Amino acid sequence: MALPSQAWVAAATRAGRIGSAIRRPVSGGAAPRGRRGAEGARRRAGHVRQAEGMLRIESPDVDALERGVAVLGSGGGGDSRTAATLLRRRLAEGLDVAVRPLDGLPPGARVVPVGVVGATAVFAEKLPGGHEVAAAVEAIQRWTGERADALVSIEIGGLNGVLPLVAACDLGLCAVDADLSGRGLPRLDQLSLAAAGRPLTPAALAEPSGQVLVQGTGAPADLERTARTFLPAAGGWAALALAPVPAGELAACCVTGSVSGAVRLGRQILALGESPDPGRLAAATGGRVLSVGRVVEVTRRPGPEVHGRPGFARGSVTLTGHASGELLRVEMENEYLLALRDGLVVASTPDVIAVLDRRTGVPIAGDTVRVGMEVMVLQVAISAFWTAPGRIGVLAPRAYGLDSDPVLLERGGESVDPGPEGRAQPGGALPEGGAQPGGAGAGAGA
Amino acid sequence: MTSVRRLLALPEWSGQVRVLAGAAGLDAPVRTVRPVAGPAAGHAVAADELIIVTNPPQPADWRVDALLRRVVDAGGAGVLVPCGPATGTGTAPGSGAPAGTGTMVGTGTTTGSETTTDSGAAAGSGSSSGSEVSRATLLLADRLGLPLLGTVGGDPLELVVAARLLLAEPEIDRARLVLAAHRAFDNRTCAPEDVVRRLKDLLGVPVALLDDRGEPLAGEVTEPGAVRVDEFVPQRVALAGGVLLAHPALLPHPARPTLWLVAELRGTAAARAEIVPPALAVAAAAVQRWLLAHRVELERDARARTALLGDLLRLDAEPSAQLRRRVADAGWQLGGWHVGLRIGAVPALDLVPWTAEISRVLRAEGVEAVVVEHGEGWTGWTTFAQEPTPARVRALAAKLRAAHRKLSGSIADHMGVGRPHPWPEGLAGTVAEATDAARLAATRPEAGFFLQVDQLGMAQLLLEWTRTDTFEPAARALLAPLRDQPGDLIRTLSAYLDAESSIAETAAVLGVHRNTVAARIDRVERLLGVDLGHRDERLALHLACRTVTLPGR
Repeated sequence: MALPSQAWVAAATRAGRIGSAIRRPVSGGAAPRGRRGAEGARRRAGHVRQAEGMLRIESPDVDALERGVAVLGSGGGGDSRTAATLLRRRLAEGLDVAVRPLDGLPPGARVVPVGVVGATAVFAEKLPGGHEVAAAVEAIQRWTGERADALVSIEIGGLNGVLPLVAACDLGLCAVDADLSGRGLPRLDQLSLAAAGRPLTPAALAEPSGQVLVQGTGAPADLERTARTFLPAAGGWAALALAPVPAGELAACCVTGSVSGAVRLGRQILALGESPDPGRLAAATGGRVLSVGRVVEVTRRPGPEVHGRPGFARGSVTLTGHASGELLRVEMENEYLLALRDGLVVASTPDVIAVLDRRTGVPIAGDTVRVGMEVMVLQVAISAFWTAPGRIGVLAPRAYGLDSDPVLLERGGESVDPGPEGRAQPGGALPEGGAQPGGAGAGAGA
Repeated sequence: MTSVRRLLALPEWSGQVRVLAGAAGLDAPVRTVRPVAGPAAGHAVAADELIIVTNPPQPADWRVDALLRRVVDAGGAGVLVPCGPATGTGTAPGSGAPAGTGTMVGTGTTTGSETTTDSGAAAGSGSSSGSEVSRATLLLADRLGLPLLGTVGGDPLELVVAARLLLAEPEIDRARLVLAAHRAFDNRTCAPEDVVRRLKDLLGVPVALLDDRGEPLAGEVTEPGAVRVDEFVPQRVALAGGVLLAHPALLPHPARPTLWLVAELRGTAAARAEIVPPALAVAAAAVQRWLLAHRVELERDARARTALLGDLLRLDAEPSAQLRRRVADAGWQLGGWHVGLRIGAVPALDLVPWTAEISRVLRAEGVEAVVVEHGEGWTGWTTFAQEPTPARVRALAAKLRAAHRKLSGSIADHMGVGRPHPWPEGLAGTVAEATDAARLAATRPEAGFFLQVDQLGMAQLLLEWTRTDTFEPAARALLAPLRDQPGDLIRTLSAYLDAESSIAETAAVLGVHRNTVAARIDRVERLLGVDLGHRDERLALHLACRTVTLPGR
């Protein structure tokens, strides 16, 4: 269980990386890693572009990854800091954290989707014991009788963008450069597997105090309902593992390149430094800054009931822009879903809408945004996986009970919405190409 | 035009509806009020429309924001939403909401609230009380300048009904007035004075009938001159503290309205300026009807008289008994001595309405004459019991000249007067003389376009002689070299010969310098190759000039 799969070892050897991966712990230490970081960044840039190359996460990359997944969380997805701390700890111990592109795996390699579900805020208070993901994977292996060869995150946005890397490290499996969401999502039945028509069951849930629940059959909506019923008893959160998916089939039903995309996104934002200029931020992320201003109102209210239980809480954030005094209102559930400028819908899910601290550029989650904050609201294009016909409805505003058509960025940074975009970014054509962020390199892998 | 502010003053609205935000737009006009079930999209918003949401929207509903924007983009007047019981003051939500108990799955519960505007920070359980319209929505309404109204407890549909009744009120009032006007001015033709009196009773304001120069014919208003009588459309003239409404009563043929019906609305009545015009139009139609009936009567009389005159002028024997009877019915006198008159009308004048005016002017000068529309003017005669003395004829001519001076310009262009002739054959003779004299008078500005046959003498004879088909082409050929030459040579030559070859007199008549006249005469002699000192050539040219310069040739 703790051993790397044969397929992974073979592929790694062929790529000539296994040697350094083994050698590195020997020379591990704080000072050398710092040196390696600078030159490593240059090397890595080359690695990311190599189709078959794997992405090695090193200590400086953790900051970028943490920032990238937080933006892709679109205000939800939970706090990625705890998971990032765990990942840094693994690196400090000299462990090797590598992420393999999906097409670098043999088609028959069994990839297990893993992640954490539940109240992710509780995750930061009720810390994991470290065994939960392993327990869930173990349960799903026992149920299906198949061994896991690799792990894939169920959701790149937020906590789940980082935690599967930690789990892969602990289990000795490789992590796949892909995920099942491409952003932060609130419900299991919205995962790309379900959107592509595959069942999510069997699925295993393991909670910190040791309970393990396996749902053998059922539709995605059933799994969602089961999980929501189980979670209060589980104390808020649980690790989830789904049945293994052969790598050859996974390509058609997941968002590929999302981990490397998140690292790249985070790196570009971090490179802008403090108080990033909105125009440069938009250019760097291939997105659009909807407004820069001060939060004047935050409302929160219970959402409509779902199956007789209280639904996700709703809320809205309103800020007045510094540029022209425009009012930008962002509607949220678990994530930021819809942005209205002066009453006109200018952005919506499935695109990522992130509220960033104006000074630090750190994304502010929907449950922590407060009146008086100086923020900027960034729209980043979603992966092409979701804009395909027949799939957009899964993440469109109406899937959240918001009666509006989707208003998305076009490829290349232009908005689909023809409304008065007085403050649209001057650089519609971006120097780095608009299709980068949010794991949008995805199309190539699928 | 009804405004949002006016709606707020309705008894059904006051106390029930308050302005939540966007007070800057309260004076925007409201044309329609439309109830919608909820703030969701799905219905188009029209301009000047007030949207009333009948079901309470969800707390802090973003769709209210979107609705505000749609209304603004469509040019609407405002939005009214039910906003729960009147517990809060509108913008400040209750800060003492009970601690949250809501179960939130996903993002977890939040702890601690830093601000009072963050009404739902305590798990949002305070939504059932206090303001349900979020501050963001209020800020947006203020930013867009669109009135956002909230109703507390009142039934929104009751508000819709009350507002619609108010909006329909002018229509109902107008319809009522038009019906009353139709009853008052039914099919019977009534005189303009009656129309004015009845309209005054109906409207309760001063009403007057003006002629086409703006002078009152009936009734009375303070500023009749304010009507622009040259613009034949219904008019609305703002007065100090009121408004003057005018409606023309047009007749088909001359585009000029013969009459204007005017109502003066002052003080509180000025508010009815939108309501009165249709009733005024109905009354103007009654005036028009009367004018048409009157005109038909005049026209019929004129035709009969013209036919009778034609019969008399063609008479070559003793008139038949039937003709005598018709003449007697017309009130004309056949026996005695007649002096014929011919009045040429100004071009394109409608003759019939002016006949009475001509008779009036003649009577004012002491001349009792029969005047009949005939051709492009009027033919008439006055009758003496005995053969008039030359002194009486001269006195008559003086009176006619005075009358002509009054008539000339607006009605009459030129006038000719014949010599006294005895009945019966003399009538046609004196009328023919008068006709010739009038034709000649048309070319004689120096005679004031007035000629009497006694003054004509030789001129009349020559005139008759030149009216042959052989002389006229010859005369034109003779003067042909002078046409198209600079200096108006034919007129100069004509005036020169009329003035007995006096260059000074000619210069005075034409209003040019005598040297100019001398130069022109010199050119005439050279162009024609004649010597104006030779009497035969002078005579031939004089006749030719007279023929060519006669009107109508």
